Amino acid sequence: MPATVHTDVLKYKGSNFFRQRLLLATLSGRSVKIEDIRSTHDDPGLREYEVSLIRLLDKVTNGTRVELSPTGTSVYFQPGILIGGQVTHSCSTQRGIGYYLEVLLALGPFCKEPMNAVLQGVTHSGLDVSVDKIKTAALPVLLKFILVDDGLELKVVRRGAAPLGGGEVVFKCPVKRHLRPLQWTKWGLVKRIRGIVYALRVSPTMANRVVDAAKGVMLNFLPDVYINTDQCRGPNAGKSPGFGISLVAETNDKTFYCAEAKSAEPGSGEISLPEDVGKECAQRLLDEIYRGGALDSSFQWLLALWMALGQKDVSECIVGPLSDYTITFLQHLKDFFGVMFKLEAIRNNDDEDSDDEGITPANKIKMTCVGIGYVNISKRTM
Amino acid sequence: MADEIAFKNKTHRAKHAGRKAEKKKNKNKVDQSNLTARQRNPKAFAIQSVVRAERQFRRKEDVIAKKQHIPQVDKTPLEPPPIVVAIVGPPRVGKTTLINNLIKSFIKINVTNTNGPITIVTSKKRRITLIECNNDVNSMIDIAKCADLVLLLCDASFGFEMEIFEFLNICQVHGMPKIMGVLTHLDMIKNAKTLKSTKKTLKHRFWTEVYSGAKLFYLSGILHGEYLRNEIKNLSRFISVMKFRNLSWRTTHSYILADRLEDVTSQELIRRDPTVNRDVVLYGYVRGVPLMKESMVHIAGVGDMKINELSYLPDPCPLPSSEKKRHLLERERQIYAPFAGVGGMVYDKDAVYIELQGSHSHKKQDEETNENKVYLKKIVETKENLDELRQEATFQLFSGGPVMYPDMVKDDEYLQHNKAVNSDDESESDESVSENDSGIDQNESGDRKKVPWENNTVNGSGEEDNDVSSNDDETADKDEVGVKSDDEDSSDSDIENKEVRTENLDKKWNEKLREKAIEAYLERQKSSKNIMKLVYGDYEIGNKTKNKEQEISDEEDEVDGLFKKVTKTQKKKHQEKEMLDVDECSFFYALDKPYLKDWTSEANKQYLINNFVTGKRSADEDADELLKLDDASDGEDEELFGDFEDLETGEKHTVEGTETGTKRKAEPTKSDILDKKMKLKAKFDAEYDNPDDHRIKGDHSYYESLKAEALKQSELNKSVFENLDNGLRVEVEGFRPGLYVRMSFKHMPAEFITNFDSTYPILIGALNMAEQNIGFVSCKVKKHRWYKKILKTNDPLIISLGWRRFQTIPIYSKIEDDLKCRYLKYTPEHVTCNMHFYGPITPQNTGFLALQSVNNNLNDIKQAGFRIAATGSVNEINKSTQIVKKLKLVGTPLKIYKKTAFIKDIFTTTLEVAKFEGARIKTVSGIRGQIKKALNKPEGAFRATFEDKILMSDIVFCRTWFKVDVTKFYAPVVNLLLPVGAKNAWQGMKTKGQLKREKNIKNEANTDAMYTEIKRAPKVFKPLVIPKNLQKGLPYRFKPKEKSTTLSGVNPKDKFQNRIAVIKNPYEQKVTNVMKMLKTNYEKKKEVQKEATALRLQKHKKQQEEEEWRKLKRQKELKKKICRHLSKMGNKKKPQM
Repeated sequence: MPATVHTDVLKYKGSNFFRQRLLLATLSGRSVKIEDIRSTHDDPGLREYEVSLIRLLDKVTNGTRVELSPTGTSVYFQPGILIGGQVTHSCSTQRGIGYYLEVLLALGPFCKEPMNAVLQGVTHSGLDVSVDKIKTAALPVLLKFILVDDGLELKVVRRGAAPLGGGEVVFKCPVKRHLRPLQWTKWGLVKRIRGIVYALRVSPTMANRVVDAAKGVMLNFLPDVYINTDQCRGPNAGKSPGFGISLVAETNDKTFYCAEAKSAEPGSGEISLPEDVGKECAQRLLDEIYRGGALDSSFQWLLALWMALGQKDVSECIVGPLSDYTITFLQHLKDFFGVMFKLEAIRNNDDEDSDDEGITPANKIKMTCVGIGYVNISKRTM
Repeated sequence: MADEIAFKNKTHRAKHAGRKAEKKKNKNKVDQSNLTARQRNPKAFAIQSVVRAERQFRRKEDVIAKKQHIPQVDKTPLEPPPIVVAIVGPPRVGKTTLINNLIKSFIKINVTNTNGPITIVTSKKRRITLIECNNDVNSMIDIAKCADLVLLLCDASFGFEMEIFEFLNICQVHGMPKIMGVLTHLDMIKNAKTLKSTKKTLKHRFWTEVYSGAKLFYLSGILHGEYLRNEIKNLSRFISVMKFRNLSWRTTHSYILADRLEDVTSQELIRRDPTVNRDVVLYGYVRGVPLMKESMVHIAGVGDMKINELSYLPDPCPLPSSEKKRHLLERERQIYAPFAGVGGMVYDKDAVYIELQGSHSHKKQDEETNENKVYLKKIVETKENLDELRQEATFQLFSGGPVMYPDMVKDDEYLQHNKAVNSDDESESDESVSENDSGIDQNESGDRKKVPWENNTVNGSGEEDNDVSSNDDETADKDEVGVKSDDEDSSDSDIENKEVRTENLDKKWNEKLREKAIEAYLERQKSSKNIMKLVYGDYEIGNKTKNKEQEISDEEDEVDGLFKKVTKTQKKKHQEKEMLDVDECSFFYALDKPYLKDWTSEANKQYLINNFVTGKRSADEDADELLKLDDASDGEDEELFGDFEDLETGEKHTVEGTETGTKRKAEPTKSDILDKKMKLKAKFDAEYDNPDDHRIKGDHSYYESLKAEALKQSELNKSVFENLDNGLRVEVEGFRPGLYVRMSFKHMPAEFITNFDSTYPILIGALNMAEQNIGFVSCKVKKHRWYKKILKTNDPLIISLGWRRFQTIPIYSKIEDDLKCRYLKYTPEHVTCNMHFYGPITPQNTGFLALQSVNNNLNDIKQAGFRIAATGSVNEINKSTQIVKKLKLVGTPLKIYKKTAFIKDIFTTTLEVAKFEGARIKTVSGIRGQIKKALNKPEGAFRATFEDKILMSDIVFCRTWFKVDVTKFYAPVVNLLLPVGAKNAWQGMKTKGQLKREKNIKNEANTDAMYTEIKRAPKVFKPLVIPKNLQKGLPYRFKPKEKSTTLSGVNPKDKFQNRIAVIKNPYEQKVTNVMKMLKTNYEKKKEVQKEATALRLQKHKKQQEEEEWRKLKRQKELKKKICRHLSKMGNKKKPQM
């Protein structure tokens, strides 16, 4: 849905992509107004997790102005300057920590002081990427843009499953003046598969059963499969029971694909078998590998953001098929920064596959863009 | 013996002389002439001392390292914009003459007017834009921000003037362009010796300002109002070979020096209100970096603007074709200078302008034209437009009949006809749209070819886009009448189309959401050709602009009068509505249950298996293949390929796990091998060849790799969009530098047009992200050493930062050791301090300069001397500031117990005390303490403890810091909006001092601070009281005589003062007189007696002394006698002993 621009304020409708809009507004310094937030719903207005996001943005910035309408169905957001530094935030348990962590990850390099954020809440949620996935698949992407790892770190202190949470992560991110342009058109072949299975407040056998199932699938393709189990106890196990798995496939060109699956939330009425969870995760990972590209499909949007925020040089990257989220993100990028990507579908010219029954290897998309020359204006020089 | 000798062969004797010997010698001799010094004399080059060698090497490396700069990505485009050559100097120094001469020397044209930028083609690969800078500090600043090369003119007979130094300082702050000095008026100096010395002194002064060795030109004289031809030729040669460096600000920002301006406001609006905000179109070459379409720009002297529309035009002054030839053809020597009024015809998107030479065509004025003029004038003078007039006009058919208004007449034929035509248009456009669906490059070429004057819009303002496809939304609204009207076939086909569409829609409508999404995904995969269209929709391409008005109403389409047809837009809207409030989720499958294949099944496995290291690699990576390639290239001559091909092609392996059913690649052909060899060669070359810098030897691999990276990036930047369609390229990359663009702005102030002066440069600078915002900027600043005054906090200052010039109110501060910003009232001298102001957000390390006034009032300039008050650079941006000032709160003790004391007067309320609990306090005498708790009784008093007992007379103080706020004042200098004569007289906020001086307000002195004479009351001591017991024992003379020696008592001498005067009667007076006379007489007598006595006494004393003397003498003689006698006696006795 395109934005309507009115005296340099971008106006949007609906609660969808709330996070994208606020994030881009903060980075671009442009004010944004979002209207009709769940205006036709039974409980109209912002949800708790969205308010929590606004709170978090307020904590990492200086001079942010937020105006809510009395019903909560419209928000006016005028961003301030990114500060970063020490931040402690207890996230809403409606969404996972990943929802907030992705925002901090995108903002991290552009703060005044190196970010050192402590986030508390649900570390593994069905709607959002888990902290494990961000740690394994997203941080290497950021590293490609900042090149030097001076203190980029994500530590999972405690895990917390869905309804009640109780997890905690520490995220540290260095500050950069600008990002480097990136050319990333090769991703190599998958050379090893690693994984972690966590079991919180459930029997340890659950974890082992998950491992067995997942390994069973993966061994069809590669012998180098190692899956750890993380059996948490006491306060480290959070407040709700649950278990899950995240699998990482590493290629020989440092591309990480990650997939994850978790048990159903207690109280939802469903019962998930560990074997099913393990298999599902493995299948998802295979699907991710099939789609390919230089990075995991969940972080395409982060890549697009960092490519667009680079210096005025050409960045190019080949990714798998674009997700819906990325597509809207690209549209939003155009609204906020005026940057447009050149997208080309790369045809696989292996003629061998043409005779098969319609399933071709997933189309890769080459994203090319010229950075807008974004510099970290918050950083202090002496 | 003789035989023996005869038999023995004679030994060979080599010849030492003669031709052969010479030959032999020459053969063995090394040719010395071709040898290097090293070969000739190797010993001299051997390492004599290891330490020395080490030092030498180190020094060499140091020198090399010093020369190295961080490699930067070269961003000059293939076709660069013209180089901006600015001619700067004080008035009457010969700037205009120089421009005229340069133009004449380059393109052999005389120009009469040098206003505004003049672009000319100077050589096959270079164009220059000449611009003259007038004598206004605003213009100087703007010119310094955009010039690539500055010709700094100086009147040699006068010497350097202040303007030149100011300009050089401005340049230093905003990025130093290349500067060439030009000395003129050299013929005014008649004496050859003075001329020589003047040249020398001026040259050295110039060198200290720019850099030593900077080029300084001498224009030695004027002949027929022109400089000498060969000197100008020389100068122009220098200009055309000049190389430029990258300036950091300009490699991050794009900018345009506007060389043409047009007011496209509807004349009607202007006529009604001359001060209405204008729509203005500006033209110019993009410079710096690519300009994004929807960026904010700052027009120096006007303010921040949003580009309403941006499009590129064919270059008005193109570089000649690239065919090889030595010289420029005459017709390729082009000039483009709209402000100066040369160039003849001007093409535009909307119109063509032809300059009519002379005005003889308008000379005739017959009566007819006069008459016409009168009518025209009448029409022009009416304020309402025709429609309004028509609305108001009424007429009666019959007297007394109903009055008819034009609104009542609706369905007149003219209107119907018009609408029919519209509907016709629409069907056409429908077709065109369906055709265009396939590709990205929509109807571009068609539109471009359209001749501008075909545009038959009413006002010709150019804002209305007349291409058919974009208009179809509008026409769709109107076709309600069109359906009714006669145009049968078009409407029929319309309806058919729509029915088909509705069927499709119904079908889709019934499907479930999930399936739809899956389908969409698959569809997307297939139609990935149009991936850009999928993401960005029907985006604008190049010069075309999207029609801003989206379809307003679409409920008009009725199928049978009963059902409303779902149009495409409605469907889209519905989809949007569905998406409106969905929870956002960044996963690939946003739905709960993803659509997954079973990858473990054999069929699906095949597509995946090659993504693992255990699978099959692609041809150029597979080790097997590579080995084979190597073998093949080694044994190229042997004909092996034929055999292999047969063996390998078409073979399928199905090995479990690792091997797959994919085909093996055919054996490498000759071209493959050649390719590979070329690749290897390129790699080798890249590694070992270092063509651009031969001097750097040794291990500089890090630097080399950085350089290679930058080079690679710049090549990629140039090549990646090369083959792209120009429209799309502009969309993705932005308007690259070198393009000639037309940018339109809406709602510009009317003064910009009405007060336009072409001698002032119009600099349009693009603002990067977040630079349009305003915040608190903190920077380091140093008062310029040539500026006479120091700067005061909170005095308004005009700052030139980035593209902007603005006035703001700064606060100076100093960073303390604990990183606290301490408020300073004035700038310190000779050192930098911090400055904080409220202004536009600008990236760190951007340089700025500050002026106290930009007013070119001669008196002010003379008074100020050097006008640049301070220079500095930006440190930090924030949305709040933390500047503090020291504050001492002073109080006194109320009551003191041992080490505890109650203190009052420091605070006024308990709340304040609560806030300061635990704060350190101190007495003047240095006893430290701490605030403990507030007291109840006197409001604001508190209990405090000290390290020692304090006194009641002690003063207690508490040191705190008080936050000072920066005033939020930011006013751009809008000098371009000022009237033509007064453009250099912008006056912003005045300083307090200025106002006081003007209004003649004297400072009220603080009476408390004034010095007064110290008056000291005489000290009164307490009377000495002697106890009675002691008094008793004292002798009489020490006893206190009077009782009244108390504090209240009066001085005993004063006792008599207040007595009544005694007046004597005559008798008594007589008596007193006699008594007085007697007394005087007696006293005289006594005096005489006394004198006589004294004399007598003296005489007597003398006598006595003499007597004494005589007596003493006698005694002495006697003693002598006795002694002699004694000694005689003694001597007699002695010999006996």
